[in-house]
Amino acid sequence: METEIAENDFIQRYDLYGCIQCGKCTGGCPVSLKSPLNIRRLVNEATLLDPSEAAQGKADLIGDCTTCETGTLRCPNGVKPSEVVIGIRGVLIEQGEMPQTVQEALESAFTKGNPFGRAKNKRAEWAADLDVKNIADGDKADMLYYVCCEASYDPRAQDVAKSIVNVLKTAGVDFGILGNSEVCCGSEMRRLGEEGLFEELAENNMAQFNDLGIKHIVTTSPHCFNALKNEYADANFEVQHYTQLVSNLIDSDRLKFTKSVDKRVTYHDPCFLGKQNKVFDEPRNILRSIPGIEFVEFDRSHEKSLCCEGGGGRMWVDSESDANGRQSEVRVRDAAEMGVDIIAVACPFCMLTLEDAVKAEELEEKIQILDISELVNQAL
Amino acid sequence: MVDIIVCVKRVPDTSEAEVIIKDDKRAIKDADLTFDINEWDNYAIEEAILKKEALGGKVTVIGVGGEEVNEVLRRCLAKGADEAIRLTDPAFDGSDGYAIAKILSAAIKDLQYDFVFTGAQAGDDSYGVTGQMLAEILGIPHATMVTKVDINNGTARIRRELEGGLEEVDEINKPAVFCIQTGLNEPRYVSIMGIRKVSKKEIPVKAAADIGISADEVGEVGSMVKLEEFSIPPAGELAEMIEGTPDEAAGKLAAILKEKGAF
Amino acid sequence: MAEIFVLAEHRQGVIRDVTFEMLGEGKKVAEALGADLTAVLLGSGVQDFAEKLKDWANKVIFVDDPKLENFNAEAYQKVLSSLISERKPVLTMIGNTSFGLDLAPALAVELKMPIATDCIGIEVDGGKVKVIRNIYSGKINARMSFRDDATQYMVTVRASAFPAPESAPGLGGAVESVASPLTEEIDYKKFIAYEEAAVGEVDITAADILVSVGRGIGDVENIPLAEELAKVLGGVVACSRPVVDKKWLPKPRQVGTSGKTVKPKLYLALGISGAFQHLAGMQASDLIVAVNKDPKAPIFSVANYGIVGDIMKVMPVLKDKITELKG
Ligand SMILES: Cc1cc2nc3c(=O)[nH]c(=O)nc-3n(C[C@H](O)[C@H](O)[C@H](O)COP(=O)(O)OP(=O)(O)OC[C@H]3O[C@@H](n4cnc5c(N)ncnc54)[C@H](O)[C@@H]3O)c2cc1C
Repeated sequence: METEIAENDFIQRYDLYGCIQCGKCTGGCPVSLKSPLNIRRLVNEATLLDPSEAAQGKADLIGDCTTCETGTLRCPNGVKPSEVVIGIRGVLIEQGEMPQTVQEALESAFTKGNPFGRAKNKRAEWAADLDVKNIADGDKADMLYYVCCEASYDPRAQDVAKSIVNVLKTAGVDFGILGNSEVCCGSEMRRLGEEGLFEELAENNMAQFNDLGIKHIVTTSPHCFNALKNEYADANFEVQHYTQLVSNLIDSDRLKFTKSVDKRVTYHDPCFLGKQNKVFDEPRNILRSIPGIEFVEFDRSHEKSLCCEGGGGRMWVDSESDANGRQSEVRVRDAAEMGVDIIAVACPFCMLTLEDAVKAEELEEKIQILDISELVNQAL
Repeated sequence: MVDIIVCVKRVPDTSEAEVIIKDDKRAIKDADLTFDINEWDNYAIEEAILKKEALGGKVTVIGVGGEEVNEVLRRCLAKGADEAIRLTDPAFDGSDGYAIAKILSAAIKDLQYDFVFTGAQAGDDSYGVTGQMLAEILGIPHATMVTKVDINNGTARIRRELEGGLEEVDEINKPAVFCIQTGLNEPRYVSIMGIRKVSKKEIPVKAAADIGISADEVGEVGSMVKLEEFSIPPAGELAEMIEGTPDEAAGKLAAILKEKGAF
Repeated sequence: MAEIFVLAEHRQGVIRDVTFEMLGEGKKVAEALGADLTAVLLGSGVQDFAEKLKDWANKVIFVDDPKLENFNAEAYQKVLSSLISERKPVLTMIGNTSFGLDLAPALAVELKMPIATDCIGIEVDGGKVKVIRNIYSGKINARMSFRDDATQYMVTVRASAFPAPESAPGLGGAVESVASPLTEEIDYKKFIAYEEAAVGEVDITAADILVSVGRGIGDVENIPLAEELAKVLGGVVACSRPVVDKKWLPKPRQVGTSGKTVKPKLYLALGISGAFQHLAGMQASDLIVAVNKDPKAPIFSVANYGIVGDIMKVMPVLKDKITELKG
């Protein structure tokens, strides 16, 4: 597969003549207020200049974008500004201009199958005591639970994987994992600009899915979900985010609640689930079904949900604009004003950034960040 | 102009991974281990390419092992090495550092070079001998634990790392072998696109006969040392483990430190 | 009588510890082999050292030559190959140090003598010498033997692998001077100078409490977490080598064989795996506490207390709890 960047194929690749420079993207861009990144201007430069010129001096700036796709959503002409960002990052990667942390994440994803530098043979340690089928080891199951690097290695996110396992088991779903053979989906690598690495990981994953005859996948992370659903070529499997599956399980009475969670709860829409894949109702359906929960909406919810800034490669890039405050902090302050006890999340990145923000804002006594699956578990 | 040969090895990453000994006690299970270029060699190849970029010349990488070594050689090519050679022969299996040095020297002796760079040691078997032995067999000088290389005409001024934060400055005439220590540069990233660009470049494969070395000089028979068996190191007096969530454990630790008069 | 050679290592007028560690272990091996222990000393004006070593060995032989003033592997190799060829020691022990590793492998090749480097154990089994080497990030010990036809062996010995005896065993060996076989200066490899790595603002060797971070700290952005913890403890931040390689902290903060040797009252190892080069620089600390994600990290084998966990989580809480307890 040749993905070489020709002289200036940005225009064709991203259909940039469609841009009428109306500025709606910048108007809605959540980071434009705090960072010098001006997405409209960036698209303009990408149209007028050749890619390497357009990339010049952008190394820091480009780090600000979280690829939340607000701009894409708002564009009246179907231009995808965040793809332009990814393209420019790609140029920077080819030139070797990237923070060391990014270099290490990319190298680790390539050699170890996860961007955290962690050992491959410890990937499934979280599941050691859980008695979960391992499809890669020959166990047969109807469905693959694709765990995600974050949920495999991060101790906090591991809790989410564990609760998803428990929820699926309780509902009698026949599922298995890939154990140590699971490999990064490549979503974040692509957004860091390493398109080639993404393709490589995607090809490896596809080969493994095909070998094992996998037809149905459920994911922890909206990022894996989005990649598998929209960015894997020739996919011949069905993929669901776990909230979709669990919502169905509730509707079909396969999952019944026995306890009540008497809390005031709001829900933070992950960009990669909501904005980018229009999965808005299922998470809400789950929360509304849990006995005792008093559900309230953020003012900025659904398509307008405020990005937590955890995705799009931001896990590895510190943005100078963070000195002007983080959106995750805005988010938890809003929640505090709403008087909620819990912000429910459905993405490991959101979970980590929002938990951090709760600490930064010293709201630990007031607000808890819980994954929807954890709330489900509490009510079983 | 400077022509540099760099010897690279593909090693498993065992820094965090669980290491399990096979039943025969003579190898570790590598099924779920991941492999990469040896950390020291990564600095060596970077240094060679930096020198080439500054002075002109040519960088050749050489690896010993099966087809999987291509992975590492290709990455070196993508970083900027000009040529790669893979030395592959079933007879090479089980070679210790000495046998590897013999294999490398047989391949290198007919090549054109000013310097040979190797890593100071490998992250798997940690012999730390290959470069020095190679130099001895080639009949040229060497230096180990090299943390700086300045090449000026035919002479290199180098630094060697000694213990205790001390360094030694030496001058060595070419040709010479330098065993490179980590930290002397910042190894670059190569994108998959970069690797794909060199994927068509042919990597010549040479067997024992091609480099004029006989089977009894290499492998286990040609080695100086023989592995008897692997074992897990005795645990020693293990630390007292503080259990609990991070919060609980940190709390207990704070109490212990106070009791011990740390603060 | 059969003989064992221990090559004395010295630098800038000091005999290095590894010499005494080897002499201590060498004595045991010599007894097992029924051999004499001979200390071999090369240098310029080293007669005093020879006198110093004689209570440690059955014999001290020294080669005094101005051409040996500073260590040069090429010159050392010439002298030692001639000594070994002549006296045929069963076993030659050399430190697995920057000095020993520059010298021993090439010397062994020249002499066609099998060598095992970085040994942490030496055994005598039916008259044959076997060694233990510690490999794969310290997680595996390999017992190795030498080529069957070998009658002479060479080993390099890891520093701190064997304890140095508290005092000399009083062997009172004879001191013998041997003429230098060197006829001319080595002109293709020259020693120019020693250079101290720059001394930084803080002297970690003088601190009572060290909060030491390893690769597990993940990013330069996280260093302040360690600094804050050090501050409440009244200590300073030190680190392992990858942290210096990545330029997250300056070189003078590095603990280990290529950094500083420290002996604080408290050494807090955070996200450090415990490679022996690191351990060598800190294992003499009074109290060692390790926090690491990996329950099998070798650092736990030298630590007094351990926490298996994420340092990013533990550091801030620990800081708060200590602040609390300090009242
Ligand atoms: C000649 C020579 C000299 C050397 N000199 C020195 C020296 O002076 N000093 C020195 O230190 N090294 C030295 N080294 C390097 C040494 O071999 C090791 O590579 C080094 O000590 C490893 O450092 P580390 O433990 O920080 O990193 P690693 O070995 O990579 O270990 C990182 C550890 O952190 C843990 N971890 C990761 N993330 C977290 C987290 N979030 N929470 C908790 N734990 C985590 C991992 O489980 C792992 O155990 C030298 C090497 C050579 C060859």
